[in-house]
This record gives sequence, C-alpha cells and structure tokens, in this order.
Amino acid sequence: MLPVAGEPAAGDSWGMLACLCTVLWQLPAVPALNRTGDPGPGPSIQKTYDLTRYLEHQLRSLAGTYLNYLGPPFNEPDFNPPRLGVETLPKATVNLEVWRSLNDKLRLTQNYEAYSHLLCYLRGLNRQAATAELRRSLAHFCTSLQGLLGSIAGVMAALGYPLPQPLPGTEPTWAPGPAHSDFLQKMDDFWLLKELQTWLWRSAKDFNRLKKKMQPPATAVTLHLEARGF
Amino acid sequence: MALFAVLQTTFLLTLLPLRTYQSEVLSEPLPLTPESLKVSINSTKQCLHLQWTVHNLDYHQELKMVFQIQISRFKASNVIWMGNYSTTVKRNQVLHWSWESELPLECAIHFVRMRTMVDDARIPAPRFWSNWSSWEKADAQNSLGDHPLYVFPKDKLVEEGSDVTICYISRNHQDNISCYLEDELTYGKQLDQNVWAFKLKNVSFHRKTGTNFYCKGQGVPEGVVLFVSKVLEEPKDFSCETRDLKTVTCTWDPGSDTGLIQLPSYTLFESFSGKKTLCKHRNRCDWQVTQDSQEVYNFTLVAENYFRKRSVSILFNLIHGVHPLAPYNLFPKSVSATNATMSWKVSSIGHNSALLCQLQLLGEGKVIQQHNISVRVNGEYLLSELKPDTEYVARVHCAYADHFWKWSELISQNFTTAEAAPSEAPDVWRDVTFVSGHPTVTLFWKPLSKVHTNGKILFYNVVVENLDEPSSLEVLSVPAPANSTKVTLNRSSYQIYVTAHNSVGPSPASAVAISGHPENENVEEGRVNGTEDGFHMSWKPQSRNATGYVVEWCDDPQNLPCVLQWKNLGPTNTGTVISSDAFRPGVRYDFRIYEISAKGMAHLLEKKAGYLKELAPSYNPEVATINLTSHSFTLSWKDYSTESQTGFIQGYYVYLKSKTGEKCHREFEKTVLPDNSVGCKYTIDNPDQKTFVVKDLQPESVYEFFVTPYTSAGEGPLDDFTKVTTPDDYSHILTHIILPMIFCVLVVTITCYLKSQWLKDKCYPDIPDPYKSSVLSLIKFKENPHITIMNVNDCVPDAIEVVNKPEGSKIQFIGTRKSPTETKGTKPVYLDLLPTEKNYSGPGPCICFENFTYNQAASDLGYCGHFPVTPQAPHCQLGPLTSPENLLKTLEQNYMNSLGEIPAGEANLNYVSQLASPMSGDKESPPANPPEPALCSEYKMQMAIPLGLASPAPSKNSSLSSTALLDPSEHCH
Repeated sequence: MLPVAGEPAAGDSWGMLACLCTVLWQLPAVPALNRTGDPGPGPSIQKTYDLTRYLEHQLRSLAGTYLNYLGPPFNEPDFNPPRLGVETLPKATVNLEVWRSLNDKLRLTQNYEAYSHLLCYLRGLNRQAATAELRRSLAHFCTSLQGLLGSIAGVMAALGYPLPQPLPGTEPTWAPGPAHSDFLQKMDDFWLLKELQTWLWRSAKDFNRLKKKMQPPATAVTLHLEARGF
Repeated sequence: MALFAVLQTTFLLTLLPLRTYQSEVLSEPLPLTPESLKVSINSTKQCLHLQWTVHNLDYHQELKMVFQIQISRFKASNVIWMGNYSTTVKRNQVLHWSWESELPLECAIHFVRMRTMVDDARIPAPRFWSNWSSWEKADAQNSLGDHPLYVFPKDKLVEEGSDVTICYISRNHQDNISCYLEDELTYGKQLDQNVWAFKLKNVSFHRKTGTNFYCKGQGVPEGVVLFVSKVLEEPKDFSCETRDLKTVTCTWDPGSDTGLIQLPSYTLFESFSGKKTLCKHRNRCDWQVTQDSQEVYNFTLVAENYFRKRSVSILFNLIHGVHPLAPYNLFPKSVSATNATMSWKVSSIGHNSALLCQLQLLGEGKVIQQHNISVRVNGEYLLSELKPDTEYVARVHCAYADHFWKWSELISQNFTTAEAAPSEAPDVWRDVTFVSGHPTVTLFWKPLSKVHTNGKILFYNVVVENLDEPSSLEVLSVPAPANSTKVTLNRSSYQIYVTAHNSVGPSPASAVAISGHPENENVEEGRVNGTEDGFHMSWKPQSRNATGYVVEWCDDPQNLPCVLQWKNLGPTNTGTVISSDAFRPGVRYDFRIYEISAKGMAHLLEKKAGYLKELAPSYNPEVATINLTSHSFTLSWKDYSTESQTGFIQGYYVYLKSKTGEKCHREFEKTVLPDNSVGCKYTIDNPDQKTFVVKDLQPESVYEFFVTPYTSAGEGPLDDFTKVTTPDDYSHILTHIILPMIFCVLVVTITCYLKSQWLKDKCYPDIPDPYKSSVLSLIKFKENPHITIMNVNDCVPDAIEVVNKPEGSKIQFIGTRKSPTETKGTKPVYLDLLPTEKNYSGPGPCICFENFTYNQAASDLGYCGHFPVTPQAPHCQLGPLTSPENLLKTLEQNYMNSLGEIPAGEANLNYVSQLASPMSGDKESPPANPPEPALCSEYKMQMAIPLGLASPAPSKNSSLSSTALLDPSEHCH
C-alpha cells in the first residue's frame, strides 16, 4: 500500500538536504576515515542509515504527489496489484533466511546496485513528468538518492569492499517503450516507486544491522526500524 | 437420325451462351468487379483500411464508379454497416478507403466485402451492380499475446464531451471482471462470449496524464488511458504589427489549454503570397517581410489539433502597423541648476524613416513638460525652467512619423539639477531670558522649504552685531540641521542676522533686533477659543509704525523644553488663525502676540490662552479634610492646579452623601450621581476657591464627599467617595472633664474605703441613740405617743418561739469580720434563732431580719432569730446579703411565699428594713395582702442592748439557751 501523503511542506529544507548529501558524498574522499585509529565506519553507517530514513520520509511525500498525478487506481490506498512485467526493476523483497545469510559485502553490493538502477529509472520518470512542480520534486529526490548512493559507496570503501562494476551492456537505460501502453507505463511507474520504498526499508534494516555490528557492545544503541505499509 | 438430333441439340446449347454473351457486350457495359481487396487495421485510429483495384478498364479510360461496402462483425452474416463510396477510377488504380469503427477493432473479428457499379454519365443506363467480392477478414486478435485480459482501445485520444466505446477481452471465462472509469464502477454490454463493451458518454477531462479505465479480475489489472482533450478554442485578439518594417509579429490569445501534453499547432498563412509559416509559440508568430515590398497582407491563423481546426484572418497594412522599438541610451547630456540637455537614440525603421519622439519631464511623479521631437537616429532636447537641486525624471517614447499607430515603450532616466544659493532668508524668531540681568537670546529658525533651499543646507551663520558698538561683530556657525542656538548678550542693543548656507552660497539674511532690556510682561491674558481650523485670534495694534506681528506658542506645552513655534504676520494684520497639526484637544496653549517695531524690536502685545477643544478634567484634586467637628468639616484641595488641565476650570462640584440618606443640606441640591446613587451636590463657580466648609452635620454620622472640577466640557471622572465620620458632641467633655473626675473620685473612693474605719472612727463614731429608733416611733404611733424609749414591756410578742437548742450547737457570730475571739467582749453579737421543725408549734413561725447597721449591739440579743447560723459558715459577713448562698435562696423563696399562700409546714420569712420602715408608711392604708396575725407580727423587736448587759461573749464552746432570753415576764403582748 502506498501511503498517499500531501504535497511536500513549503519549507522543505533543500539546504539541509544538499548539505547532508554533499557531506555523505564526500565521505569516501575524507582521508581521516582511512586512517588507523579513526572511529571507523560507524559514523558513516549511521549517517547512511539516517539518510535512508530521511529518504523514506521524502518518498512518502513524493509518491503521494506522483500517484495522484497518475490517477486511480494507482493512488488508491488499497491498490496492490501482482507484480508482473517489471522484472527489470531490482527486487527488494527477499526471503528472510536468504537475507540473514547475506554477508555485509553482499548486502552493500546489492544495495548499491539496486539504487544505481532505481536512480536511472527515476530520472527517466522525471523526464516524462508533465508538470514542472513534479519534475522539481523528482529532481530533488534524485539528488537525495544520488547522495545515498554515494554514502553507500563511502561505507563500502570504509569497509574495504570494492564497488560493483556494471557489466558492459547491462547498464540500465530508460526508454519510453513503444510497445507499452500508457496504462502499463503508469503501472511501471507505480512499481518503481513501490520498489524504491521497499528498498529503502530494506536498506534501513541493512544499515541498522551493520551499525549494531560495528558498534562496541557496551555502547550499542538499539534502533527499531518501523516497517509501515506501502 | 438420333445422332443428328443429338448433334443439333449440342450445337444449340453451345450457341446459346455465345448468343447471350454477344448480346451483353454489344448492348451493355461489362460489370467491373473490385479485385485484390485487402483489409488492414489501424489500431491507433481504430480504422479498417480497405485497398483494392478495378481491372478491365481501358488504359485511357476514367470511369466514375460507386463501390458498395458491407462490414460484418464476429461473423460474416452479422452486417453492421453498409455504405457507398463513389470515386473516379483509372485502370489499375489502387483504391483506398477507411472505415472508423466505434468498437475497438481488437475486440471483434470484422469481415468486409464490396461490389461496384459504373456511375458515369457517358455510360448509358441501365447499370448493374457487379457481384460481391468475397468476404475479407480483419482479425486483430491474432496479434494479442497470452494475457488473460485485454482492454481496448489503447491510449485513445478523445475530445471532451464525446462518446467512447471501450471493450475488454477475457480469456478466462470464470473470472469475475469489474471495470472502472477512474474510481467509478462501470457496467458494460456483452458482445460475445468473452467480449464486453462499455460505452462511455460525454467523457470529461481529468488530468494531463489521461483518464484511466481499467478492469480487474483475479490477476493483474489491465486498463487503458483515455487522453481527453479540451475543445480547441478559436484564437482571440488576433493582431499583427511590425517593429522595424522587416518582421511582422502576430499575436493572439490561444484560450484555455487543451489539457494534453501534445499542444495544438498554429500555422500562419498569407493568402496574397500563398506562403505559410509554422508558429513556434502558441500565442505569437513572426512573419518575415520579403524584399518584394508587399504592403498589404491577408493573414490567416490556423489552430489545429487532432480533432479540430480553428482559423481567424486579418488584413494587415504594413505601414499602418508600425510599432517602433523603444528608444535607448537616454541620458542627461548636460545639467545645470535650471537646464538639462537630454539625449537618446532610436532604432532605424525601414529606409531611414523618421520617428516622432515625445520627451516628457516629470517632477514629483507628474508630467510638467512635454516636447515632441522628430528623430531619425539621435534625439536631443534642451529642457529649461528647471528648479535647482531638484530630481526629475525624463522619459521618451517614439512613434512612426509617417503614420502614427502606437507609441513605443517608454524609457526613462532620472537626473538632478545642480544646486544654487538659497533663495530666501530663514524665518527667525527669538526667545529672550534674562540671567543676572544679561539677556540670553535663544534664536530659532525654521528650515527653508525645498523650494528655497536650492540644495542641501550645510550650516547657518549667526552674526551678532552690537548696535552700541558698531565695530563689534560676533559670528556663529551652526551646522545643519540645527534650528536654534543660544547667544548671551550684554545690556546693549543688538541686531542679529541669520543666513542659511548650502554648497553654493548663503541665503539672504534674516534680522532680529534685541533691546537688551527686559520686556514688559505685564499684559493681561485673554482667552481664545479653538475651532476645527485652529485658533482664531485678533489683537489691537498699539503702534502705527508696526512693521509686523509675530504670534508665538509651544506646539507641545506639556513636554518641556518648549519647541517654540511662531507665525509672522504683516503690519496690516490684526488677526490670524493659528493652526498646527500638533494641536491636540484638551491641551492648553498659551499664545503671545508681539508687535515688531520699525527698528525690528518685538514688544509683547497680548497673551492669550486657549484650548483647541476643551475636555472634561482628566483627574480630580486630592482633597484633604481639615477642621473636623461634630457639625462641620472643611475640604481643601489647594494643590490642585487650574492651569494644566484639559480645559478652563470653571469651578468645582462638591458631592456629599450621608448614610442616612436624609435631605440635602442647605445650598446643596439633590442629584443623581453617575453610578445612579443619589447624593447632594454643591457647585463652586469660582475656580480659585479651593476650600469648602461642609456645615450643619450631625454628630457621630458618616458622610461621604467627593470633589471634582468642571470645565465647559463637563466634570471630572467619578472617583471614590471619601468617608468622614463626625465626632460625638460630648466627647471633648468626656475627654477633658469627666474622665479626670472619674479618676479623682476613684482615687478618693479607694482611699476612703481603705481608710473607712479610720474615718469613721475619727469623723462619726457610732453613737447609739435610742430615741431615734424607728421602732420607737412605731410604738409611739400605735399606742403611746409620748413614749420615747422603748421598754421591753411595751413589746407584745405575737408569738413565742421556743428554741430548744441542743447541746453542742454552736452560736455563730455575725456582723463582724473579726474572729469571734477578737470580738469577744467588745462587739455586740446577734444571736439568730431559727425555728426547727421539731420544736416548731403554733400557726407559723416568725422570723425577722434586722438591720444590723442600725443596731449591732442589741441585735444579737434580738427576739427574733435573724440568720441561721450553720456550722458551715465559720465567718459571718457584715451584712445579711453576705450570707451563704443557700441561705439566700431560702430567704428569697420564703419571702416570696409569704406574699402569697404559705404552704402548711413551711416557715415564713419576713424581712423588715429598719431604715425603710415599710410598715410605718403603709399602716394607714390596709395592705393588699395583710399578713395573718397568727403568722407573724408586723414588727420585730429590735433592742439596743448595752454592752454591759450582753451575755457573755459567745464562743465556740459557749451555748446560749433561748429560754434565758425568752423569759415569760419579758414576753410582749
């Protein structure tokens, strides 16, 4: 279920977000993070987790606006069609046992790959949006998502994991498929937003788990992730 | 023979068709059958596209033909449409024809066939339809995949208000499918086993992303998006103009948006030249003027979208529609204090055509000058009659000189003229005070108006010239924006000059003369009434040589120091109106009118005080109560100033209320107070009377008073009343006389009491006087008037009481504070004989109480017992009232009973006061309730027994028998 939220607040802090994204984007380049005796990847994991939660909040607002733009049934709270024909989107849902069995590297790699794809599709969504306000909101969100991608890359770098290299020819590209009807295109948009939100939930769990793992037990702080209906 | 017959028959049969054929060819044209009929589907437009040819035509033959077309749906026999299509056909021409289906073609198989007929005037009738072609099938479902549900038409573009038919194909017959238009459930009609159609009427615009129609069963919902376009409006306000005779720009109002992402196209046609251009904007289009010097254009604007085409035309003359571009580079070429030369440029039009430019000069937002100048490239104009140091706005616009149609846009430029010396002397006034005999002059001047400053005033020069010493000059420079300065002078005559300076130079000087001696301030003060216009005041000139008058006042007299204001008036004026925005109602303004002499000296002429509008007093005086007596008190409010009030104080109201609410005192009148209570009011009509005596009051009464001033606008606010209580009339006597007296008496009394015995002994020792006994007088009155001394024999007892005193009984001594041992042998003692029930006999006992103060020595031998002597009373008091309490009760009870019926067996007590002698006065009149003789004699015997005759002093051990006293020989009868 996608929560239909209202328009973004008028005072939505672009500046705060830009600052946060910039900081997170620059995290891998901060030499202090690579030094011995540094606080380790803990702070960057925490920031990535915070950014994930912020993006969740931001997406709720954006999805509400965009689904109203698509019209019924996509903006109906109980609209939950079977997922078909959107195999190109990275699927966030995974069996719990499989998820538990993932190691940190795989987890981070999947996150990174997923957001790389989603960001590409989201930019395509932005290009075809009809209203300027919607385009502005989508561009804002793309900037934030780009920041998250950079943040994940920073965490991976801090942990010594290499960034996944896209295979040639498998880079996601967005193209308005002529075979697609407009209705199916709207369905794809719906699924894109839904997968994005599911990924943000999953990432929040991933980073929360990683954060706990990296923190000393004495100073561990338990953060509860609240999963809400889509 | 038989063979012949067979051959003949065969020949005939062979010839028959040939005959028939020959007759048809010769007499009628051959039927032309459509061939190679192909049917294709255009899903976007939902059209069946037919394509065919007609053979059998001559190479050069062109025939007008009619094609009859039949279209069936689902099966060939279900013909849903039939119609004719007429066209001219050439040999081997491929013919095309389309049919738009209302139902989406994907939802049903369609069949098409046709036949033809020559419809050419050159071919004589009769005409015949050819045979029908075979049915051609158009099946769009072949291209569908294996999805369980399809909805058609895909992404259809419709106009708002039109009807649309939507269908779905369900492959799963068991699925319960419901369809929705947006969020509204829609009901359709089943066309086939698995095909349903929904006719949507009058579809409306929802959003740019289209109106959603979707169906859902158990699987993935499937739907279509209807892109609904609003009706394309005809362009409004279509007009054209040229800015430079090279490009024609046409503009229009396209109306409301059609609501689709695909915008309608706008094309501009010109009919004379036959050219057209596709407009890049939806409300504006540029048309390039070619070199062929076409002057008149017939423009047609065509707006077109998928559904409609709208057009609007205009005839445009190039020369009549010139709207020049705005001039540019406007600037003040040279600026002086009163002149400015403005320069600007214009864009050239055509072949060196002239423009008419209009130069406007604005001052303070208003156009004050306007000039028309013909300009080809550069414009220039000299603006004159300008004011120094003034900001102006110059603006210019141009129009085509050959044919005026429209001004260009305005361009403007601000400039400020140069400064000049101030043109007018400052308005100066002075305030002279004398400190230690030396005049101190405070000079005030008003800032020059902007008209006269001609620049920024930098400073003021004050030149003080001592007229008595012509060579003495003192120069002060006061920087702006100060508007006053103080100068201390000697006792000489002075002339003071004040000039204002800006960067260019000084203004004319303003002169003030100072005499150096105090002015005459003894001028009567008058009053002036304020009006809405201000204060109208007039004065009487004193001198014929006055050169003018000055009225001075303070704008805000409540706040010090006073900001002196003044008004200069000419010598012919004897009155003026003083007005100021600072004047407020309820504020007293004092005006001083000066007469200016020929020498420039100012003499005080009159003083006037006034209010713009009088108000009721804002506060009440603080009233003190003095001289409070029981009948009057005085109210005083001497600290109340009448000068600084909100109006001229005309007097005071004294309100008085008394608790009793009685009538008002003399000179007071009854009135209803603002709080609806009733009080008395006294009016003091003299504002200088600040005391008031309230008289004729009641002592020990509460009065409430309240004093409020009044002006012409009313009285002061209602405050709380002050309470006053008048004192008691005798309180002073009590205080000054009675209390000391009481004190003295108390002292004397206490002293006397303490020394009573001593006094008694010294002053009036007890001297028994038997001749003064009341008993004696009683006896004398009764029997023998001559008997003066009572004898025992004279006493006739009414009853004899026999006291049988048992042994051991004690005799109590009463009547002395001393103990029995102390009184032994010195004090008479009373013996009380009380009847006892045992020895009581006779009709009733008689018990008498004697007055011990009268006879104390003899009473203890008294005949009658007086007090019961109980062992519980060891100390007997002096008087009977000091007897034990139980005794008193008994006595009281018995006495009361004696006045009424006496119950049998009860003893009666009869108290006889020796001093009061009650029976002596009552003897002549019979008593209302005479006592029974048998009960008691009226008088008890009282004897004075000399101390020597007294029996031995009783003691605790002594016993006195009554028998010794009640000797029969001494018994009175």
